[in-house]
Amino acid sequence: MASSSKTSGPAASASTSSAPSSSALSFKQRPWVRWGAPLLLLVGLAVLPLVMTESTNDTLARIGVFAVAVLGLNVVMGYTGQVSLGQIFFLGLGAYVTAYGVSQEWNIVLVFALTCLIPAVAGLVVALAAARLGGLAIAMVTVALPIVGVPLAKRLSDYTGGSQGLSARFVEAPEGSGLYDDQWQLYIVLVVGGIVFLLTSLLVRGKYGRAFAIVKGNENVASSMGISPYRYKVLAFTIASLIGGVSGFLYMVVVQYTSPETMSFGHSIELLVAMVIGGAGSIVGSILGGAFYVVVPDITNAIDPSLTALLQGALLLAVLFVLPGGLVSLPRAVMRGLRRSTAGRGSAAPPTTPSPTAGSGSATENPETERQGHV
Amino acid sequence: MNRHFRSRRAVGIAAASALALTLTACGGNDAGRGGDAAEGAPSPGITDDSVTLGITTPLSGATAGPGTCTVAGIQAYFGAKNAEGGVEFGDGQTRTVEIEALDDGYDPQQAAANYDQLKNDVFAMTAGLGTPTNRAWRDAAIADEVPQVLIMTGDPLFSDTEQSPWQLGFVPIYQNEGEAFGELLAESGEEHKVAILSQNDDYGEGYVEGFKSAVEGADNIEIVEELTYEATDTSVDAQITELANSGADVFFNAMSITPLVISALQKAQQLNWLPSWFLPSNTSSPGAILQPGGAEAFPGIYSVSFAKAPQSPAFAEDEDVQAYLAALKEYGDYQDPPAFPHCQWSWMVGATLDQAFQEMTEPTRENFMEALRSIEGYQAPLMLEGTSVTTTEDNQPAVSTVNVQKYNGQGYDTVESFG
Amino acid sequence: MTLLELEDVTAFYESVQVLDGVSLSVPDQGAVGILGANGAGKTTTLRAISGTVRTGGRIVFDGKDIRGMRPDQVAALGIAHVPEGRGTLGDLTVRDNLRVGAYLRKDRKAVDTDIEYCLDLFPNLQDRITSNASALSGGEQQMLAVARGIMSKPRLLLLDEASLGLAPSTARNVYDAIHRLRTESGIAMLVVEQNANLAFTLVDSATVLETGRNVLTGTSAELRGMDEIRRAYLGG
Repeated sequence: MASSSKTSGPAASASTSSAPSSSALSFKQRPWVRWGAPLLLLVGLAVLPLVMTESTNDTLARIGVFAVAVLGLNVVMGYTGQVSLGQIFFLGLGAYVTAYGVSQEWNIVLVFALTCLIPAVAGLVVALAAARLGGLAIAMVTVALPIVGVPLAKRLSDYTGGSQGLSARFVEAPEGSGLYDDQWQLYIVLVVGGIVFLLTSLLVRGKYGRAFAIVKGNENVASSMGISPYRYKVLAFTIASLIGGVSGFLYMVVVQYTSPETMSFGHSIELLVAMVIGGAGSIVGSILGGAFYVVVPDITNAIDPSLTALLQGALLLAVLFVLPGGLVSLPRAVMRGLRRSTAGRGSAAPPTTPSPTAGSGSATENPETERQGHV
Repeated sequence: MNRHFRSRRAVGIAAASALALTLTACGGNDAGRGGDAAEGAPSPGITDDSVTLGITTPLSGATAGPGTCTVAGIQAYFGAKNAEGGVEFGDGQTRTVEIEALDDGYDPQQAAANYDQLKNDVFAMTAGLGTPTNRAWRDAAIADEVPQVLIMTGDPLFSDTEQSPWQLGFVPIYQNEGEAFGELLAESGEEHKVAILSQNDDYGEGYVEGFKSAVEGADNIEIVEELTYEATDTSVDAQITELANSGADVFFNAMSITPLVISALQKAQQLNWLPSWFLPSNTSSPGAILQPGGAEAFPGIYSVSFAKAPQSPAFAEDEDVQAYLAALKEYGDYQDPPAFPHCQWSWMVGATLDQAFQEMTEPTRENFMEALRSIEGYQAPLMLEGTSVTTTEDNQPAVSTVNVQKYNGQGYDTVESFG
Repeated sequence: MTLLELEDVTAFYESVQVLDGVSLSVPDQGAVGILGANGAGKTTTLRAISGTVRTGGRIVFDGKDIRGMRPDQVAALGIAHVPEGRGTLGDLTVRDNLRVGAYLRKDRKAVDTDIEYCLDLFPNLQDRITSNASALSGGEQQMLAVARGIMSKPRLLLLDEASLGLAPSTARNVYDAIHRLRTESGIAMLVVEQNANLAFTLVDSATVLETGRNVLTGTSAELRGMDEIRRAYLGG
């Protein structure tokens, strides 16, 4: 992604040029926090698979799979504002490409490359046609994807195994690593998913992300700023499809089986719900959405398996009423509550002197900043 | 009896995963990765006085109806047994049988997750409905050596002993159904011209394969025309018209789409083509398909079955049926008359497991599989005369015999000969 | 030297012809007004230039025929359109809106300088710099829209009804600032305005449209002196 180098530009120059006075530094900006926190997170993630139970590792790995799928959806919907109901199709496509490649005993690197490439090309072709139609047409076209995909997968049984699907157990912990399969799988999910999340967050915080946000905000404004809404919609959709394909690869790593049911339309709606619940247009929200997608059926199963649909619906409504911005807005909602209760005391006011980097400096204060990146 | 759902532990898991990033102190041990147990030591999910069975099946979504039945039947069966004190196992212990059922919504991914949750708590997995949802964790069950038995899928893979050592399907595979009708036809001794219309996937192919294998070598049967349709098609009128011109007097119609079957019945009447007609067991409902399709016009509508229909007046006084309906209400948490045959099948699964338990001499999964694979000619309650459970035949599900039945205007009667 | 030249431009919405041969020219660094009643085709003329409506005729900018170009291509050539109804991005802060305006620019340092310039030009925005644009008053939003247009460093600014819906004093403030901008930056302007009094404070010349064609063109002084203009647009 070419934007990464460009993106590092403004952030770096901003932090050096804005002669920060120490009092203006928020907790998040202190050097030891800036370097220490990611490092701590990295170490934590590296140790995590070793100390968790098998069952927890399985759950975490599945969360990773769907977090990536939701992230893709967020690129096209949360960040660019184009309704897509077809994300599960690209997950399914990626899963099938992986399963087929593995069954043909292709090199796994090649399989992974194809898992990125084929869904991306499919997404590009669909978007080239759909984005030109504009408005709700793109949503309508994306609805068709899983609806066509399921019978197509059944029909192309030479490649897909028909309605009986394809199994592929191809990720076993390497000999001598001393790892269990579930630990190895979680590591793969963490590494591949981590890279996807890193690249995507660079993308949406950079120049392209800014363009996506403008297209989402107002297409006419985008045009008048020299940004072609069509081109950026196509780009966003293509990237979303590519990320969907990667999530399909991870799906095969974790679930090790795919069938036409994998891409049934209902799951596309569930992904959409997960995105909204997690927090639209948010990187962290994508992870929370993935967790919601995976954990909620387990929780409702634990409460009463015969009422899962009802309980899930109730939970969905409850979250949306309490946190319309999704789970990602929970800390802010809590902070707001705290601030209200301690009102009157001199609270941490937002910096009053706007520096050229206010866009990033006030990240913790501004609910929209993460969504829009450092525009 | 209440349903035995796995509340506490699963809530714990959910909470643990939510808090996973905090690196809580459950670490260090290899919990859940128990290595190979010593020879003869009890497998997970079984103690001296109870055994726990796991089910993952659709309890929500489009297939929730049949899915709920797959739990209700077995729950009713063992609920009644537990009320009598439990099941006497071959090792001399009497154990109660607990069921832990989880909803997978017909999602393979969720089914695999449910399996992961259940595998260390249950002795065996059973009764779950669906081909993809069972396929999703089939490899894992083999690797973990967890029985995945008497499941509700017509997929022959689960009955392939070599490829699926820890699996066994319960219901007849598609081939069995096609074969049963083919045999009846071949034995009639009369000359018949057969037209075939099948769904262009493994479902249709299975039926046609079974039928052809039965009529192969029968001189009196001639297949005069064979067409397919796609599961996505909205009409088969063109195919029906073409087949009507073939002059066939028997129509082998392997379709799984309800509205298409109805319109096919109507179209044939329009064309005044009135053959004897075969339909698969899942698209032969008298109320939902045959009556709206005007099936009385045809000389015979044939289908297959192996279970007594509890609503049928013919079985109103049947002891099996009465015991079953009472238990379904009392222990199966299923208040209405069963709307899907899966309720009856699930009851039979319970009875078949009961048979296997009685033969078990050690409380291990290996021993259970051996016991389960040694049942021959067991006529489970609710089974029709002439059908039985046999688990000793390679590449066959537990129930591979079906009776051919003929539509009588209201329900079905078993027939011994064609015509 | 002429920066923008329209020659016999026609325009259609679906099959309805809205412009029926509009001609005008904007000199480099000049400011030209478009006057006319509602529905005369003023806004459509601007949209014809920025490429958001199907057009015929000839539209030449800086020696290059731009008719039929996509809006983003037109913008990239240095034409900034501040549309009627402002079209600010409500979810973004004032500062981010300004940065959006500079989307195509590579000179980051200069962008920061220009933001400071905009804030100097519209001091109201300085106070609201971290607010979301949706929280601004109508006048502030109009200022933001104009400022965002400037941020792209255009050679030509298309300004559509900048006074619409504003209190008279606010409208005057906005036009004063634009006038200062014009003097200091030399950006050429094509200004659509209902309020001819305001327009004449800014433009050197103007053309009057009626049902999609020019009926009168002249310098501000000439037009101001004409009775029919006075009656129609100057309130007496």
